[in-house]
Amino acid sequence: MSEIPRACKVKANDFEFTIDPSAVMQADIIQKSPTDFNAILNHRSVNARVLESDVTGTSLKVEVEGETFDIEIRDHLHQILDQMGFSTVSSKHIKHIKAPMPGLVISIAVTEGQEVKEGDRILVLEAMKMENSILIHADGKIKRVAVKAGQAVDKGQVLVELD
Amino acid sequence: MKKILVANRGEIALRIMRTIRKMGIKSVAVYSEADRHSPHVYFADEAVCLGPAPSSQSYLNGEKIIAICKELGVDGIHPGYGFLSENAEFAQQVTDAGIEFIGPTPEAMRIMGSKLAAKESVKKYNIPMVPGIDHAIEDVNLAIEVADRIGYPVLIKASAGGGGKGMRIVEKADDMQEQMERAISEAKSSFGDGSVFIEKYVSSPRHIEVQVVADKYGNVIHGLERECSIQRRHQKVVEETPSAIVTPEMRERIGEAAVLVAKSCNYVSTGTVEFLVDDKLNFYFLEMNTRLQVEHPVSEMIIGLDLVEQQIRIARGEKLGIAQDDIKANGHAIELRVYAEDPLNNFMPSIGTLTRYEKPSGEGIRVDDGYEEGMTIPIYYDPMIAKLVVHGKTRTEAIQKMLDAIRQYKIEGVSTTLPFGTFVFEHEAFFSGNFDTHFVKNFYQPEKIREKQKANAEVAATLAVKFWLNKQDELRPVENKSTSWKRRLAH
Repeated sequence: MSEIPRACKVKANDFEFTIDPSAVMQADIIQKSPTDFNAILNHRSVNARVLESDVTGTSLKVEVEGETFDIEIRDHLHQILDQMGFSTVSSKHIKHIKAPMPGLVISIAVTEGQEVKEGDRILVLEAMKMENSILIHADGKIKRVAVKAGQAVDKGQVLVELD
Repeated sequence: MKKILVANRGEIALRIMRTIRKMGIKSVAVYSEADRHSPHVYFADEAVCLGPAPSSQSYLNGEKIIAICKELGVDGIHPGYGFLSENAEFAQQVTDAGIEFIGPTPEAMRIMGSKLAAKESVKKYNIPMVPGIDHAIEDVNLAIEVADRIGYPVLIKASAGGGGKGMRIVEKADDMQEQMERAISEAKSSFGDGSVFIEKYVSSPRHIEVQVVADKYGNVIHGLERECSIQRRHQKVVEETPSAIVTPEMRERIGEAAVLVAKSCNYVSTGTVEFLVDDKLNFYFLEMNTRLQVEHPVSEMIIGLDLVEQQIRIARGEKLGIAQDDIKANGHAIELRVYAEDPLNNFMPSIGTLTRYEKPSGEGIRVDDGYEEGMTIPIYYDPMIAKLVVHGKTRTEAIQKMLDAIRQYKIEGVSTTLPFGTFVFEHEAFFSGNFDTHFVKNFYQPEKIREKQKANAEVAATLAVKFWLNKQDELRPVENKSTSWKRRLAH
């Protein structure tokens, strides 16, 4: 019997789990076909299907109860590579207000340099025929207004920058 | 009638055309530049592009639609819901052009299209109404005065409104200014009419409506009620019939009231009379929707009528072929509106491409949709992808069927209200029938959906590891395979 890999990190959509392969080997999981599984986990009987997989089996698409999950398995070796420092996460604290949905800017209630208080209306965004007031959630000072009235914006687009 | 133009898009255009074809009539689709690849265009016998994507330049261009009818020899227009469906001027222009408008008369639309005129119209029939002001106001101070008199919370409603648009709840006088401004502006931009009025906000209200069908000879019947209390942003997401709380005695009274409302405006075609029902089962007339409702399929499933077929028959001058006594509820039907919205993020529109789209199927499952895999949800229109409708012998059976159908429904690329549906149909309050229009506020916990997703994600992750381990095994030389032991034993 080959050696069992050590605990690996598994991403499933935006969730992450640490899974011990030896526990998986002991779990009550039946492979019904090359892609179909039934597992009894904590007395729960669940069916799952592997929809896609790469050659190594570390990047997969798995469906459970009608929901599809994109899976990335990072085994011990991958984790060491990650730790050796190729990850480039650095958190800059630029404060800006982004569009929560795509839409059309109807009107803008603030000007550059203006002091604003929590709860003040920044602008009105129309999406799907609804007018939504975009409010600010903290006190601050408007550094830049990045959009104009009448402009269509995408989800996540910066509307206003704050000092 | 030989040829009907459907002045709409998406699922409703397709649904109407199916009936048109069934009746041996030709169909004409209209579409905007954003909808060239829509199923309703593929399905129609003829199709004409109206113009650019924004509705004001396409689906709301009544003049162009009438011109197309003349050019193609169309003798009837079905407006669907939304867009021009409740526009009395358009209905008048259609009629004046010698084309049959498949719907009510412009006069009935005018009366019921203005909530204030509607209240006036039904007054003589002693139909109960919610306390409030019976004329339009724009003055904030007057609004505060009225609200003080009838008591907070109050509801600001656009006189020309519908579908929850232009409606604002005001809890206290301080919020009146902002809410009045928004409501008036929204009413102006959505309906071209900024007049709003105020009425008492009934707490624990249920929204129950009655389907009516009327011919051109004064015969009016009702097609039972629909319970539409599960809403978000004052817009319906789940509808069912019969309602779990309506008793046979109440059904008769509310049905009679609905018929009287229809008679008060000499209504013709199918329509819906909406009522607010309080916790003591008192009902109040809200408004009449002078169109085919989004949620009409639940009624079709239990009364066994094709309501679009009824509309066409009525439009071509046939008498109602059914009497009130013929209307009997067969089983139970539930509808879930599948919107491209994120139920984990305050039901924000979720725009994108349907990278995977597989519909559920089976006995008693009906999907009215206007999308196919690979299509993009445009930002210009209502974000509804489909209506998932199920029929069961009992309410319990219908709920179970719905849960199964949701599991079968595979949509990827955008977030949808499907997980919200599962939450509702598994919730004790829905199951017992003890809920009101505040279901979302009172019971909805997005974190429950999140927890469930997490549990499923963990199963998926576990099984993926299993799959990966098996694969690693397969990739090794045969003599090292653990399975070779079993093979040896089996020999």
